[in-house]
Amino acid sequence: MIVVNTESVPGYQITSVLGIVQGNVVRAKHVGRDIAAGLKNIVGGELKGYTELLTESRRTAIERMLSQARELQADAIVNVRFSTSAVTQGAAELYVYGTAVKIEPVVQAAMAT
Amino acid sequence: MDMELIFGLFVVGLPVFMLAFAWAMGVWVTRRHEADLAQRELAVAHILIHNSGRLQDATTGPHPPMMITSEVTLGVDHFRGFLGQWKSLFGGQVRSYQMVLDRARREVVMRMLEQANEMGYTALANLRIDFADISGSALTRRKAADISVLATGTAYFVAPKS
Repeated sequence: MIVVNTESVPGYQITSVLGIVQGNVVRAKHVGRDIAAGLKNIVGGELKGYTELLTESRRTAIERMLSQARELQADAIVNVRFSTSAVTQGAAELYVYGTAVKIEPVVQAAMAT
Repeated sequence: MDMELIFGLFVVGLPVFMLAFAWAMGVWVTRRHEADLAQRELAVAHILIHNSGRLQDATTGPHPPMMITSEVTLGVDHFRGFLGQWKSLFGGQVRSYQMVLDRARREVVMRMLEQANEMGYTALANLRIDFADISGSALTRRKAADISVLATGTAYFVAPKS
């Protein structure tokens, strides 16, 4: 599945729009990560535990969005957007949404004109 | 020396020592990160990056365009956090935070470019940068904020200039 955050997919044309697909995930950090981050916070620098948490959350959210798109038998998801919100202290929601579409490759000659 | 004096020195000395230690380490961490970024930027300097949704000069490459995401969480060191709090009494620019935010943004963009480069893409469109408040600092007004930056973009192939 082609996933892009632009309105179109270069080299392809959109033949039909299937609708919005979305995925969300609320993740909490565990205490161990909090303690490690607390120590790291004295000197500054990257808090790897939190970065990983975000990466995992994004992956899960995208995966959920993809499974919705597969149900619709979409070829691609365009205009993907993320949003985050802090639900409580220590838990954050990551929400991803996009438009599922059907696409077809454009012939190279047609693209040049 | 009597016990009270030792105790007094400890009470005053420890926070001062912590601030000095955090300041020194913070400067070191910042310099190292900036030097690292400057070096990595050279390797991906050829990739075109823009925040327009239109993929002009796009060409079909070996694989279709792909969305790329990256994220980073940077902590603000104890000393800068302290400065930031002090500054918030009077208002005005908090330079120590600005610098950390700048570094966080450079880092996420760099990670995206590196991912794109690894897969052979030559351009990155529709760059979007967001912030995530994962530690809920905005809710609790905790002293040192963790800065999480998320970036999204679409990697594609751009036609080489003739």
